[in-house]
Amino acid sequence: MESATTESADTGRRQEADRLKHAGWFSRLVHRPEIGAFSGMVVLLVFLAVVAGDVVYNPLGIKNNLSIIAQLGIIATGACMLMIAGEFDLSIGSMIGFAGMSMAVMLKWGLPFGLGPASPLAALLITLCITLSIGWLIGFIVVRTRLSSFIVTLSFLFILRGATEVCFRTFNGSTQVSGLPDYKQTDAVAALFGGETFQWFYDVLFWLGLNYNRAGDQWVTGFDAKVAWWLAIAGVAWFVLSRTQVGNWIYATGGNEEAARANGVPTDKVKVSLFMFTAFCATIFAATQVFDTNTADAAKGNLKELEAIAASVVGGVILSGGFGSIVGVVFGAVIFGLVQNSVFYISWIDGSYYRTFLGTVLLIAALSNETIRKRFTGGI
Amino acid sequence: MVQPLIRLEEIVKRFGNFTALDGVSMEVHPGEVHALLGDNGAGKSTLIKVLAGVHQPTSGRIYVDGEPVSFRNPLAASDAGIGTVYQDLALNALTSVTRNFFMGREITKGARPFGIMQTREMNRIAREEMGKIGIDIANPEQAVGTMSGGQKQTLAIARAIYFGARVLILDEPTSALGQKQQLEVLKTIKTVRNRGDIAVILITHNEIHAQLVADRYTFLSLGRVIGSGVADELGGGDIRRLMAGGAEMADLEQELATVP
Repeated sequence: MESATTESADTGRRQEADRLKHAGWFSRLVHRPEIGAFSGMVVLLVFLAVVAGDVVYNPLGIKNNLSIIAQLGIIATGACMLMIAGEFDLSIGSMIGFAGMSMAVMLKWGLPFGLGPASPLAALLITLCITLSIGWLIGFIVVRTRLSSFIVTLSFLFILRGATEVCFRTFNGSTQVSGLPDYKQTDAVAALFGGETFQWFYDVLFWLGLNYNRAGDQWVTGFDAKVAWWLAIAGVAWFVLSRTQVGNWIYATGGNEEAARANGVPTDKVKVSLFMFTAFCATIFAATQVFDTNTADAAKGNLKELEAIAASVVGGVILSGGFGSIVGVVFGAVIFGLVQNSVFYISWIDGSYYRTFLGTVLLIAALSNETIRKRFTGGI
Repeated sequence: MVQPLIRLEEIVKRFGNFTALDGVSMEVHPGEVHALLGDNGAGKSTLIKVLAGVHQPTSGRIYVDGEPVSFRNPLAASDAGIGTVYQDLALNALTSVTRNFFMGREITKGARPFGIMQTREMNRIAREEMGKIGIDIANPEQAVGTMSGGQKQTLAIARAIYFGARVLILDEPTSALGQKQQLEVLKTIKTVRNRGDIAVILITHNEIHAQLVADRYTFLSLGRVIGSGVADELGGGDIRRLMAGGAEMADLEQELATVP
């Protein structure tokens, strides 16, 4: 170079890679995809502590909030995995109603084909077989026909809801089953879904003098079992997604399906399995409800599919797929559940504002997700 | 003359009434860059799709190491050592270099498909393999979307080679790249050629790029080979003329001049 007068000494040796600095732990932390949802959650927790700390954070408040959060978290985990693989499931809510109906009708009227009375385990397993088959069918239709999963699952939203009502009327005469025996007192399987869990937490609170009623006895005895189910499902999903081979397949399928297939990823199998997984999550949701309340209703699960998708988006999952994390969705479920439940504790806010607030949160989350995606894809 | 890695003999591919390839023959040798040139619609894409197992030829034969083969699907072609780097590079921009490098072929412990990914080992291999063909990525866990176009090309090429490609088909690797990155990719291509055991088929529109790295040329026009040769025998004028489908550049210039 003849005229390199203004060139700095290291021009030739600088590499493209040098432009990306090795970030410190703090910088890496704030660049994690979950950071938005996490900050939102912290802000919300602090806000609630200030305006309604005594009702939100008392033993019963914690239990009730976590129940709502856990319910949402269970289906949001399924919705999130499927969205990362690039598909939607709008049938989750109807699947919840269908699974609840299936279990309750069997518990009340006995097994199909007159095989005698149904135990909670039998009702659950048979229901799982049915719902997983429906999940498989939805997935099969989506991957075979290449129709948009939005349309296919929207169809199943209607199909399942209708089928649920018809089955209720046919077997039961009305669109709800109530007055089932309190199985969770007598049956281990029912207790696993409808009973209590983490009792030690409230035992400790009681010993610490924070958990007693007016008579001076222990007040709250444990969390609802659905909290444990949520943690278990989210834990397994987190592990699968971030650490295993199939986790990489899920990201690859959603990020660039053609590429994934060209590299030998069985994208169709991945998708079908995930449609079955959302059906599984919906069934677990229904089981925790049926065995907790001993009732079932044709309207159960209404709109839950949209809440699950919204919680996933708040948790940082991108609608077009290929990006997102379970940890983020855990935070998303906490935010959504808390807002749903706790706004009613704040006397000076009209409780109905909660939907307005959720909508706003969702919009902000979607906008910030888009920013993240653009940063990663170079603005495409 | 050593045996060609791949030999195509009278490949014909018809889509209904349309004849995309009309008896194309060519030979590809290891340690060579074979430029496949031609105008839009000449049949380049169809030809590489036949080689990559995406399309099956209507007639004609493909030989790998002198043995006749037929690829029923892309997997069969890649098993035979034919690695295709498409224009979109088959990458997921939102996940890490390592996750992309091992997409579908992860190193795991435990029962498939729930085996645990050996992330550390995978990171090391991804970094090493990209280093071998000239690009040092500081952090293999960075998202692919944050890399330059040239680095993405390198990732796709390194991946194909690591997973056993002996014939590397590069589909317009320098289009849609900036000047400096084009050069980076050409350097990568030369590095791959210099290994000596890999044949590179380079599809390009850019005659300058072809001249910079190609050892052998095949020119396609309207589904037929209209010329071929080794780099030393072809002059720049021949290359330009053949790329334009056989039309003389002077004619084209004249034609252009008639437009006011």
